[in-house]
Amino acid sequence: MHEQPLTDQDRFPLLTPASQRRLHGMWEHPHAPRFNHRCGDRLTADGLKKVRAFEAEHLKHANQTWRDADTPAWAIEYARHALANTPFYRQRGGRAEDFLAIPASTRGDLARAPWAFVPDDASLDDLIVYDTSGTTGHPIFVPTHPVASSMYLPLLRGVLARHGVGLDGGDRVSIVLVCAQNLTYTFASVSAYLEGAGYIKLNLSPHAWRNPEDCVRYLNDCAPEIYTGDPLSFLELAKLPLTHRPQALVSTSMALLPGLRAELSRRFECPVIDIYSMTECRLIAASTPATSEPAGLELVAHDLFVEILDAEGNRLPAGQRGEITLTGGRNPLLSLLRYRTGDFAALDFSGPRPVLVGLEGRPPTRFLTPDGRIVNNIDVSLALRELPLAQFRLHQSQDGSLILSCRDVEHHRDALARPMAQLFGEHAPLEFEEFDPDADGKVIQYTSDILDAELEGRERSYQHVVWRGAKLP
Amino acid sequence: MTSEGPPLEALARRLAESPADFLTSSIHVTALAADLLRDLGQQTPPDDLWAMLAPTKGRGAAARSAANRLQLISLAVWLLSDPWFARNATSASSVWLLLAIGLDPLAEIIDATSAISDADRREELVRFILWSLELRPAGETHAQAQDRLTNLDSVERVRVVRETRAAEERARQIREAMAAKAAEEAAASYGRE
Repeated sequence: MHEQPLTDQDRFPLLTPASQRRLHGMWEHPHAPRFNHRCGDRLTADGLKKVRAFEAEHLKHANQTWRDADTPAWAIEYARHALANTPFYRQRGGRAEDFLAIPASTRGDLARAPWAFVPDDASLDDLIVYDTSGTTGHPIFVPTHPVASSMYLPLLRGVLARHGVGLDGGDRVSIVLVCAQNLTYTFASVSAYLEGAGYIKLNLSPHAWRNPEDCVRYLNDCAPEIYTGDPLSFLELAKLPLTHRPQALVSTSMALLPGLRAELSRRFECPVIDIYSMTECRLIAASTPATSEPAGLELVAHDLFVEILDAEGNRLPAGQRGEITLTGGRNPLLSLLRYRTGDFAALDFSGPRPVLVGLEGRPPTRFLTPDGRIVNNIDVSLALRELPLAQFRLHQSQDGSLILSCRDVEHHRDALARPMAQLFGEHAPLEFEEFDPDADGKVIQYTSDILDAELEGRERSYQHVVWRGAKLP
Repeated sequence: MTSEGPPLEALARRLAESPADFLTSSIHVTALAADLLRDLGQQTPPDDLWAMLAPTKGRGAAARSAANRLQLISLAVWLLSDPWFARNATSASSVWLLLAIGLDPLAEIIDATSAISDADRREELVRFILWSLELRPAGETHAQAQDRLTNLDSVERVRVVRETRAAEERARQIREAMAAKAAEEAAASYGRE
């Protein structure tokens, strides 16, 4: 366990002179942003070997799938191990052979008792912890391992290949993750799996840069193979006069609406790939070139079994909507056995691999402050994340008034008022309401009556805005 | 090192007189446990209370074994509600570890109803709970208490005692490691989730 702050040796165990030069180049570039964090892949030689072995296995089993109503033998074997070796599942009981009777677990279970999801036989030596707001806005601390983090890359490489795009790595910046929010960690890093190629996480928000023109210069100079981000951050990226054209845009975290996807694709002259991914197990599904509207996302991981369950925990047949439920994955410190994601879709088995159809879970939402600033839902989640709320909901009416509802709202009123005032201003019209999350099933956490185009018109701090249908600059 | 606890007989009698409600499926084990922990000085229920003690929606054998575990936990709560424990400043965190995970190995081999009706099982549960909290029955030495705990039945009990200690220790280690690592920088992830 590291009692002291990490050193670069801890962050980058496989740093070479070349990747070290690249790292410094990204940090010390004259137009670099004000990076506020340091982060490495923490991949050792043994770890890298495991990631490469995973890639080989993924390629070998790329066509391995299952048919509707089947449970693959490997998933049953995974269940057997989880039921015997993971405290949470052991307590809930069940038999691997009777897979359909194994009780489902939830994000709430993981949020409340993450330690109980760590298998007995997993070493804690390389434990790392990610936190995620999740759909409930309540932080979930997810135990994981550096190897599992880097295993995202071979899967991503496979997804990109389906679109005719390579992820070559080596002597370049491979990935820039763009954010557009008030506050987020930003850093430059290198990936041993990508042969020392650069990876940068940055914030497009103006206050993250020293000079207004730095952002465009830096991104053009970095010339990443791909950008990753979410629909809202890509919307901001699209406003910049970038000359560099990436190979692809990879969108995660929120629903990517078809109109925006098409506009982004035109703007950047590359495929825009929608990915369904969660902190708990990373990459689950991705859009394919062949996927038609309404958007379907093809399951991509050979080691993840996906079921659709109804509210009672019964498996639903192909075509019926229910909760996406996961078994398996590659995180050695987190067993996922019939794990309900909180997201909803139906499965379609008509293609070579199962496809999630009509995925619904985290629609992106932007709110307007009285002084014309835009606050996106990630900022709200971050601002309220430390509060002990099981769930909350924020709605903005056409007149700009906000209603924040949660259970036991009177008890939380003062604690909620402070961060909301910081985000929206002291004079924002904000009301509090009691909210019963059981009353209407699935909670859409963030909603607004202000149309996006209108939002953009009322916003003062940006010149151009585009959303659904309007043209990108 | 164990400390002297309450008399075995008093606790066994308390167990024999457990309210019938404690074995019904409608009992809210989470509420019982939260009340007990509050009595022991923990004002806010543990974060993992609901996840560890929630009634399961499983079916068949899975549901039966999960229900038996929760019944055994209910009985432990009843036993630990004896005023002796609050009076003697029993650690709420140790009690929570016992309820959350410590009874799991025992629940695999004893039936909760027999822990009320059968004198040997009663004694076993009492001894097990005292041992788990590093207590020994009043009037017994540490060696006597240890000997009687593992000799009540069979070799299987020795395994249960060993597994319980290991499970509690493991849970403690993971929680400590996660708390330490949550504040530390993680490894790079390449997209947003």
